[in-house]
Amino acid sequence: MTARPASIAPPVLEVARGRWAFLRSQRMASIALLLPALAYLALMTQAPFVVTLWYSFHNWILTSPELGHRWIGIDNFRYELTEDPIVRSAVVNTLEITAAIVGGALVLGLGFALLLNRTFPLRGVARSLMIAPFFVMPTVNAVVQKNLFLNPIFGLLNWIWTSLGFHRIDWLAVHPKFSIIAMAVWQWAPFMMLILLAGLQGISDEVREAARIDGAGPIVEFRRITLPLLAPYFELAVLLGMIYILQLFGEIFVATQGGPGTETTTLPYYVYQTISQANDVGTSSAQGVLAIVFSSIIAALLLRLLTRTFRRGLTA
Amino acid sequence: MSAVAETIDRRARSRAAAPPRPRLRPGALGLNLLTYAIALLVFFPILWTVLTGFKAEADAAATPPVFFFHATLDNYHAVFSARYLSYFENTTLLAGGSTLLALVLGLPAAYSLAFNPTRHTPKVLSWVLSTKMLPAVGALIPLIVIYKRVSLFDSRLGMILLYAAFNLPLVIWMMRSFFADLPKEILEAAVVDGAGFLRIMGRIVLPLTAPGLAATALLSVIFSWNEFLLAVNLTGANAGTLPVFISGFMTSEGLFFAKMSAASTLAVAPVILAGWLAQRSLVRGLTFGAVK
Repeated sequence: MTARPASIAPPVLEVARGRWAFLRSQRMASIALLLPALAYLALMTQAPFVVTLWYSFHNWILTSPELGHRWIGIDNFRYELTEDPIVRSAVVNTLEITAAIVGGALVLGLGFALLLNRTFPLRGVARSLMIAPFFVMPTVNAVVQKNLFLNPIFGLLNWIWTSLGFHRIDWLAVHPKFSIIAMAVWQWAPFMMLILLAGLQGISDEVREAARIDGAGPIVEFRRITLPLLAPYFELAVLLGMIYILQLFGEIFVATQGGPGTETTTLPYYVYQTISQANDVGTSSAQGVLAIVFSSIIAALLLRLLTRTFRRGLTA
Repeated sequence: MSAVAETIDRRARSRAAAPPRPRLRPGALGLNLLTYAIALLVFFPILWTVLTGFKAEADAAATPPVFFFHATLDNYHAVFSARYLSYFENTTLLAGGSTLLALVLGLPAAYSLAFNPTRHTPKVLSWVLSTKMLPAVGALIPLIVIYKRVSLFDSRLGMILLYAAFNLPLVIWMMRSFFADLPKEILEAAVVDGAGFLRIMGRIVLPLTAPGLAATALLSVIFSWNEFLLAVNLTGANAGTLPVFISGFMTSEGLFFAKMSAASTLAVAPVILAGWLAQRSLVRGLTFGAVK
């Protein structure tokens, strides 16, 4: 009786040990595949943020090496938050410009998406033409709009404007914020359109049909069916759009250089100015930290949404 | 609720049995025409830039604008002689090199996250994504200081290393979502047969997700191609890219409109073509797989 279990035991143990070894090797292999990417990401994208934070507690001006870099605690932040006259307007500008671009692009994008969410001849061509602006590099967008369209003398827009009987306007000088917003809306409306169109295509015909049979006109259908079912897509489009558009830089660099005055100076542009013109590592780092704080708030909201959809899928 | 749903279902089915061919109502025709008009209007700035690139400088700056003109290739000749090619070469190398590096690092990671998920996987994915959300401007200052110190400043290698890191989250998220769509059975069979990672990847996974891989690579190329903030701060004469070259036209004031347009056309055309090629997976890429 006792011999029997003994003779059976070894193979069972072996199988068990073998299975564990298999699992362990799987897990090790899995980590080995994952780790290089994570380590690289941490080194190249996260370490710089930590260094930015470190620099922000220092007084360090690149063009004055004799001063060295001195630890000054939170003085840079104190200066930025209480004394610097530009940083406050930069924050306000950033929020204003971002909100206006996201809003404008969202409204236009919804319109485009509704037009494209039908079956009609050449739909693919129309869609392709409408998404093209999204691929245009920001500096080309700004250079072209500034010179070919908004230029007070040679611009196409001013030709149309004066042909309609209005006075010539130097758009970038008189309405700099509006011009920047208009440029970026042209670029970002296709982005919003793509996300909302995907949402519209997810609404089943049965639901629309049912609403129509119940006597809903197109407006009621839009307000009671389309908009509520699109809500998660709106949320995604707004949060993603804000993450990207908060970083808007190329358009401002080319079209207005933050001016006139500081009217279009946003936080990213201000950081650029502080480092490239004043060579002030400490102050520009403190401004960079402010930019990080802003984006983090929105990123946290977006991550929550995306983690939710990662688990369940974005169901309308 | 369910009764209503059933009725709808039955109605839908009875309709499906005899699909009515929708007639083109005048309202629909009007909407079609409106759509075409808006599509052309949206595309017009690009079209106008392309046209202006073929004009003589005098025509390009003419008011009222010239719509019919004698086309010339002079601007393209001029652009090509103006060190444009070195910027073009840099941009191509940077976009291609960084995409390659991001794929080399990101594909194994995506494989691991898709096929061997653990309870930490959502957290890892979430962290990967968060690296994409913080503003590049927050990392800019140390990059300038450190790159100057380790002589990666204004070098192609330095920019490739950087762009690869910025595209890595895209590669990981997008490819993970394509991998996760594969039927599990195929993979299990391969694992049972004793195939290793490289074999499974090369023989099974990548061939089956080739369109997704192509779209991911194209998107990564597009983002690197257009990137400006890091390029303008970290490159100079050696590793400068097209966005930096183009930004040099910012004060042309009617003197070089045609050349500017030709340069812009050349800089933008490859990306628009790439974007059109990647269209099917564009939404998935832009929303990190949340919308398929």
